[in-house]
Amino acid sequence: MPETLSLRPPAHRVSRRAIGYWTVWAAVGWVVLIGGQTVFVLTSDDAPTWLTVTLTISCVLAPLHLVVMPQWRFRIHRWEVTGEAVYTQEGWLKQEWRIAPISRIQTVDIERDPVEQLFRLAKITVTTASAAGPVKIAGLDHTEALALAAELTKTTQAGRGDAT
Amino acid sequence: MSVETPAVTPELDHWHRLDRRMLLIRPVLDLVKSLPVLVGTVILGRGNDWEWFGLGITALTVLIGVSHVLTSRYRIADGQVEWTTGLLLRKHRAIPLDRIRTVDVTSEPKHRLFSLSAVRIGTGRHSSAQGANKDQLVLDAVSQTEAHRLRTVLLHRKEVVTESAPPPEQVVAEVDRKWLRYAPFTLSGLAVVGAVFAAVWHFAHQLNIDPETVGPLRDLMDDLANTAVWLIVVIAAVALLVVVSLLSVGGYVLSFWNFRLTRETEGTLHVRRGLITTRSVSIEEERLRGVEVKEPLPLRIAGGARLTAIAGGLREGKGGDKGGGLLLPPAPVGRVHEVAAEVLRENVDPATVPLARHPRRALARRLTRAVNGVLILAAALFGLAWIDFLPSWMWQAALVMVPLAALVGWDRYRNLGHAIVGRYLVSRSGSLARATVAIRREGLIGIVVSRSFFQRRAGLITVTAPIAAGKGAYQVVDVGEADGLAMAEQAAPGLLTPFLVRTPQR
Repeated sequence: MPETLSLRPPAHRVSRRAIGYWTVWAAVGWVVLIGGQTVFVLTSDDAPTWLTVTLTISCVLAPLHLVVMPQWRFRIHRWEVTGEAVYTQEGWLKQEWRIAPISRIQTVDIERDPVEQLFRLAKITVTTASAAGPVKIAGLDHTEALALAAELTKTTQAGRGDAT
Repeated sequence: MSVETPAVTPELDHWHRLDRRMLLIRPVLDLVKSLPVLVGTVILGRGNDWEWFGLGITALTVLIGVSHVLTSRYRIADGQVEWTTGLLLRKHRAIPLDRIRTVDVTSEPKHRLFSLSAVRIGTGRHSSAQGANKDQLVLDAVSQTEAHRLRTVLLHRKEVVTESAPPPEQVVAEVDRKWLRYAPFTLSGLAVVGAVFAAVWHFAHQLNIDPETVGPLRDLMDDLANTAVWLIVVIAAVALLVVVSLLSVGGYVLSFWNFRLTRETEGTLHVRRGLITTRSVSIEEERLRGVEVKEPLPLRIAGGARLTAIAGGLREGKGGDKGGGLLLPPAPVGRVHEVAAEVLRENVDPATVPLARHPRRALARRLTRAVNGVLILAAALFGLAWIDFLPSWMWQAALVMVPLAALVGWDRYRNLGHAIVGRYLVSRSGSLARATVAIRREGLIGIVVSRSFFQRRAGLITVTAPIAAGKGAYQVVDVGEADGLAMAEQAAPGLLTPFLVRTPQR
């Protein structure tokens, strides 16, 4: 019988606190956008009418985006690390699945911006020798990320060669 | 990362200096380079303080050049190449020998005057974050015997035993005079014409010369005004074609004169070429990850192609690395496949096998993408014409291009294909610049599967094969989901398997 193949989603979700983190960053963006427009409309003597229109649109879109986006992203961003590979899934309109063999990993970085620190989150970036881009897992619980990075580094060090 | 030990640590080397004969050339070149400054300040700014400023800058340039030649030293010791330079600002750089991927020897006219060469030692790292030149070392004046010694020591990690006996090598390919007929189809002359035109335009603009005021040009314009438009267009097209063809042939001769691709016993491919500027590139076969057959549309129509190596340490199109991976200049496509097979040590070039076609749904995507681009351009031009910024014939011309774009889209679909042949993953795509890549599967460092919104609706995916060589990643575009995943699973055995689900087809 012929079969069809498809990729299964990676096993783990990121930390639930990531929802809050994404909301905060999106909110910052909206505040800047709406704030800028409001200030201009209020202070300018003859603000163009289209600016009032975009301001209204922004005010309608912002709460929608703030409610839907983080939830949606939480459902989409998934990751998994097995003994052989790192596997991630991301993207909404353009979906992407990345698989990097652990034997070819060159560096494992942990990054935390201030908001991530506030939410006790961390972002792991795993690079290989290719220019195709690193494998990133964002929104991980910080302790979990540390353990994962330590494990990955250990496995990578066991490998030989320059991973190219 | 793992701790690596170099295979052979050459004995301690003493410090070498750059060839002193460069002292005769470098100041002259620096003077020539600062000629605009000199002319500007000494002649045009005669009598004011700027004069001394210009002279000072020129003197400084020459001094820096001289001190670079005098103070640069290098040695190969402790498993690394060390290099220091500078008088006031001292620089020191060390590159471990086992990081060296390529040794590129170039002799420009300035070098050839005294049989010198510039040796570019590359590590082939893809990160540009630390600056493009941090990972390579350029020794820009060494004698040709020294260049040969460096190449042997650095790439084969062994000392040259005797200078008199060059290592035996086997010729893989040599340029054929008959291949010159492919030169016009490369359209390389077009770039020259464009550059010259831009330069002339720029100068005329800078010097405030109005084309209308130049006698011969004005006469020409007057003559043209009395001639039929179609005749002007035909004559201009023919003239352009002739000039571009001649320039292309000239470019071919300049770049590929004495082209020789050889294989040395130590397992290196060695490319030598060039008429005035000679270039010699060595590619470690161990680092060879595959080959790319490039067939730009005009060349494809003429039955020609080019061959490029995909190897670790050879980056594509970045400054000094440009053209580094070339394995065969434009040549008959049959010969290209022969050389590809020979280079890869296979019986047949994997790129010649029949490729699996992509599903019909991919055609719609290629067509819409090709046509939409032109339509958006036409819309933009229409918008600009509407506000009286551009004449309206431009958007009409863009609309005429639509059928052509559709044709290109159809050809793109026709060219899409992929296959797994033995050790290789083969992928073909493109129309105006068709390229067929064959990469060794063991070189894959992962798999990336992506699917855009429109691809999802059509049940297509794009599989990207990341690799530490060439462009860094090669794609199989718009392949059916099940086919693509099966191909990816086969390409990187075991890597994908745990993440796949098989459902019986109903």
